[in-house]
Amino acid sequence: MTGGLQRLGSTIVLVGVSFLLTALVLWISGYGVGDVFSGTVQGAITATGAATSTVRWAIPLLLIGLGVVIGFRAGFFNIGGQGQFYMGACAALVVSLGWRGGPATLVILGATAAAVLAGSAWSLLPGYLRVRFATDEVLTTLMMNFIGALVLQYLTAGPMRNPSGTGQTAASERIPEAFRITDSSGVSATVLLLVGAVIVLVWLLLDRTRFGLTMTLVGRNPTMARWQGIDVSRVGLVTFGLSGALAGLAGAVELHGPGARLVTGFSPEVGFTAVVVALVGLLSVWGTVVAAIFFGGLQSAILFLPIVTDLPPPALVLLHGMVAFLVTVKFRSARRRRAPLAPEALAD
Amino acid sequence: MEQILATTLRSAAPLVLVATAGVFAFRAGIFHLGLEGLMITGAFTTVAVGEATGSVELGILAAIGVCMALSAVYWWVIGPLGANVIIAGLGLTSIGLGGTAFALGAIFDVRGSIFTDVVLPRPVRGITSGPGVIIAEQSILVWLTPLIVLAAWVVLRRSRFGLRLAAVGEYPFAARTAGVNPSIMRLQALLISGALCALGGAELSVGALHNFTENMTNGRGFIAFVAVIFGVWHPIGAALAGLFFGFADAVGIQSQINITERVPREFVLMIPFVLTIFAVWLGGLWRRRSLEAEAGYAELREPDY
Repeated sequence: MTGGLQRLGSTIVLVGVSFLLTALVLWISGYGVGDVFSGTVQGAITATGAATSTVRWAIPLLLIGLGVVIGFRAGFFNIGGQGQFYMGACAALVVSLGWRGGPATLVILGATAAAVLAGSAWSLLPGYLRVRFATDEVLTTLMMNFIGALVLQYLTAGPMRNPSGTGQTAASERIPEAFRITDSSGVSATVLLLVGAVIVLVWLLLDRTRFGLTMTLVGRNPTMARWQGIDVSRVGLVTFGLSGALAGLAGAVELHGPGARLVTGFSPEVGFTAVVVALVGLLSVWGTVVAAIFFGGLQSAILFLPIVTDLPPPALVLLHGMVAFLVTVKFRSARRRRAPLAPEALAD
Repeated sequence: MEQILATTLRSAAPLVLVATAGVFAFRAGIFHLGLEGLMITGAFTTVAVGEATGSVELGILAAIGVCMALSAVYWWVIGPLGANVIIAGLGLTSIGLGGTAFALGAIFDVRGSIFTDVVLPRPVRGITSGPGVIIAEQSILVWLTPLIVLAAWVVLRRSRFGLRLAAVGEYPFAARTAGVNPSIMRLQALLISGALCALGGAELSVGALHNFTENMTNGRGFIAFVAVIFGVWHPIGAALAGLFFGFADAVGIQSQINITERVPREFVLMIPFVLTIFAVWLGGLWRRRSLEAEAGYAELREPDY
């Protein structure tokens, strides 16, 4: 228990340090840190529609982040959330535009199922290579991200392109309004129910079932798990599949919710931010929920901040980078490395 | 065809430089995903300092300095502080991408892109037809890249430093027993790596192009990383892989102009990534050979969750 508290404490300290460093950069660049802070609070919580916007941005981070939690718990470094998210969105788009005349409920269900399947397929390929051939999953999931982004670019600039679009970036046609589950705010009872159900299901799976325990065992020590008769390959495939399914689901929610269409390279940071969210959430389900709302709030604020202080969006990328850079620092390990100095210190 | 080859050299030079950087990190047993961030930092610093001082040499020196400093911080975080190599590396990439885009606004008060006149010299100019087109209008760094790769090969294969580095990457425990301090060796490798990333970034912004644009590296740091894997962690192999990816890029650019109807550019651009997955998969033999090397970076990359 103290271990958990210690990790919570060190994570809070490290995230705090990342924020201070970013604030320092802003201060040097001539931004009023106080203004930025009050603007962030307004943009995330108090301004009109800010709280809704926070939830809207927290949803994809949460869904993909839970996928990351599942993968990391079982010891698989699945960093392919971005590609799986894109493939989910693409699959949902193809179904929705391909079956324009269909009954709304059926199309939405079909598109969501397609998204979940596409996301998990995008994850299962690296997963299969990992469990069958020991192919490094960091590398393959990273590559799948780039391929997924190019598939999205191909669809939005090619077959699904909105011919009347005039913007610089290619965008797909809009899906019919009847197929949407939220308005452009991205929050509705349906979405909240869906996300709530996913949170509870993932929590039950990870923390209240035999399989969840098995996953954690595999993550802690695969060799021991194998010797205890656990089918490590099967556990690996299931975790890869579930991670991808959640990211794919996030893609469908994005399309049928706030997006209504896909734009080349939309939300380019969401996969990486979800990894940060999962790590800041200490790879626990509820921690990830809290962290997702927190980072969703920041995302909402960065869109609001230009109104107050003219702060450009890259500042948020910088902040995410700082957090990722530092969040896995281990205080304990640092102390252990210093230990050999102790005798000299005593001699003094 | 000459045009494609000329574009190949132009696209490949930054990739090859950053891939060489990646080889140094890999030899030290570090799975360096911060290459992209260092590369864009190098590209930006060269332009920023070049514009401020009017000297491209000073710009490049400053870029090397900044990238080496960032690499030292990266080393401190993943070594003594025990952070996860992959997450911290991705963080470094975000710091580079976000930081340069932010600094572009803060320093030059522009969003998106700035043009610069302070650029690298181009030794051969004015050839507009025949095979000479290939080497014409290439910046001096393109000419120097083969020498840098050769130098890297000599350092890694023939010098005391290189052999020690290989030992550290493959089996840090044995290296430590032999009196080599793996941590210091990793720092040195990362510093060299940072300097090479700065050169790669500089070639992109003031060599091939005359501007700095937000996110202009556009995944090139990762493609360079892929070239390292593809080239079996060997400087020559990585350079050849970089050259090949440069060729794929050139074909992609050409296909956009000529044959868009038949081959969408996106599919050409996928080639490096698809090939990498195949290479890593088919490289079962390579895999087994590198299992010891695996143990090397396991010491660093083992996730503690």
